[in-house]
Amino acid sequence: MASLLQPDRVLYLVHGEKKIRSPLSTLYFCRYCSELRSLECVSHEVDSHYCPSCLENMPSAEAKLKKNRCANCFDCPCCMHTLSTRATNIPAPLPDDPSKTTMKKAYYLACGFCRWTSRDVGMADKSVASGGWQEPDNPHTQRINKLIEYYQQLAQREKLERDRKKLARRRPYMPLAFSQHTIHVVEKYGLGTRLQRQRPGAPITSLAGLSLKEGEDQKEINIEPAQALDEVEPLPEDCYTRPINLPEVTSLRQRLLQPDFQPAGASQLHPKHKHLLIKRSLRCRKCEHNLSKPEFNPTSIKFKIQLVAECQVLLTLTNPVENITHVTLVGCEEGDPEDINSTAKVMVPTKELVLAGKDAAADYDELAEPQDFQDDPDVVAFRKSNKIGFFIKVVPQREEDGDVTVSFKIRHDFRNLAAPIRPSEEGDAPTEAIWLTHHVELSLGPIIA
Amino acid sequence: IGKQNTKQQLIFCIANIAAGAVVCVESEIRGDVTIGPRTVVHPKARIIAEAGPIIIGEGNLIEEQALIINSYPENIMPDTEGVEPKTMTIGINNVFEVGCVSQALKIGDNNVIESKADLGKNVILTSGCIVGACCQVNTCEVIPENTVIYGSNCMRRVQTERPQPQTLQLDFLMKILPNYHHMKKTVKGTSTPVRN
Repeated sequence: MASLLQPDRVLYLVHGEKKIRSPLSTLYFCRYCSELRSLECVSHEVDSHYCPSCLENMPSAEAKLKKNRCANCFDCPCCMHTLSTRATNIPAPLPDDPSKTTMKKAYYLACGFCRWTSRDVGMADKSVASGGWQEPDNPHTQRINKLIEYYQQLAQREKLERDRKKLARRRPYMPLAFSQHTIHVVEKYGLGTRLQRQRPGAPITSLAGLSLKEGEDQKEINIEPAQALDEVEPLPEDCYTRPINLPEVTSLRQRLLQPDFQPAGASQLHPKHKHLLIKRSLRCRKCEHNLSKPEFNPTSIKFKIQLVAECQVLLTLTNPVENITHVTLVGCEEGDPEDINSTAKVMVPTKELVLAGKDAAADYDELAEPQDFQDDPDVVAFRKSNKIGFFIKVVPQREEDGDVTVSFKIRHDFRNLAAPIRPSEEGDAPTEAIWLTHHVELSLGPIIA
Repeated sequence: IGKQNTKQQLIFCIANIAAGAVVCVESEIRGDVTIGPRTVVHPKARIIAEAGPIIIGEGNLIEEQALIINSYPENIMPDTEGVEPKTMTIGINNVFEVGCVSQALKIGDNNVIESKADLGKNVILTSGCIVGACCQVNTCEVIPENTVIYGSNCMRRVQTERPQPQTLQLDFLMKILPNYHHMKKTVKGTSTPVRN
């Protein structure tokens, strides 16, 4: 197997909608289809939202309301690191006796990386540790909300019309609930589900995620059209001659992270709430089974379901499964349509290689008999528990500065350990082995003269 | 050549450590180094005055594996005659964090040089500057006051207030370090050569 630090040396070919070559560590194996899957041939679904700094879980509806931002955590507007709350003691007059002063705690936000503090932009210290910080209001919020309402209504009306047309075409026994189901599904998932894939020519599909809740009155909302102005404010006279105070100018990244204000000066950079991250689950597109499903708890990195390719597919001759596996290597023939990257001819051993099963207790079991496989010393270099090293001959085809790449096909037997859906009628029949073939590309490194 | 060697050996041992400074024996101090009061030098810190004397003010905090070196410029051999020794001055309340390297000839007050930062010979730090972790500053310039240098690209920004002097930390260390390490002898008044 390619080492952890050089994962791109061994690539496996995935037959999906696109032919993708990627290392085994990034692939999944669907054991119902018995095929390799890459990230491009699975559908990604949002599982849960969580904040990366306070690790607080948030239900999807609440996340949508808060625009996918955490309520407690802030990002530094200067370097995008997480802000921490610091406390200082300031003297403040006692409420009973104004002449005496007592030490009160005042809190401010500070960044540990670039040393930005909330005092830099003029935000006053708060007396509560959390929850006192307000984001500045956007002057355009009202207009934007009104526009959103208007277009929501428009989208709703268009959807109803479309559903009515669909119903008119369908047989009469199709219930009305179908259209409500569509709306319900669309509202819950937004774009990306099987029912709502973007079809070319479909109108305003980007608004399909917005929909009024059922039962709301259909008010007529009118918006005033935006007014175009003829005159624009002129630039200040010293625009070209005024010396630039470079630390005060914000960078593009800092500016665009606050799209509602886009401040040009660093003294107007206010902290924003931290963006939430998602946990996603992956689903095979052909058989609709889940390939990867993470745990719900944000602090846990384990998976409920995890069908990663390394556990199921043969690694370069380390056998991950517990049965004896037979491997045959076949070189790629001339004119193989998948063989585009190889720059060298390879002669693989023609005999079948046998790999012992993975036995976790083998290291500790002193009484186990050493396995007796008759190995041809020209083919097999060494054998150790479930690993095997073997020789291949490589003839580079051209003098190249790049890496020498060879490709060949591995064919091995695989026993599907998933419980059969149909109860086996013969009773004790062992699971059938199926033969899988993978196209492998191996990058051997540059030629040393 | 013989005379020069003995002269250098004498200079080798002069370390003028003011009373009130806490300098651990495991630190390496070579050459003509003056250390002000209330300065703490951790074990394994290295202060090397090769090409000239180093004068360190008071209230500084020099952590482990920090290297403050007044070295010869690159194109001059150590044995050349006629090279004037340049003094390296370090002000008060500076912090040299773990593993930093400083060759800057003039450092002002209240600066913080974070871990593994690297200051070249031609940089001059004024006051209140913060050189971030792993940042290499080897330009030929005077860094203006209250500048923060951070990030892998050494981005800069100006902060509105200077970093606070680490008085609490200094007091704590001055109490605790003598419990676990031997200290170098301090000198009162005029400088006398000290045997390390």
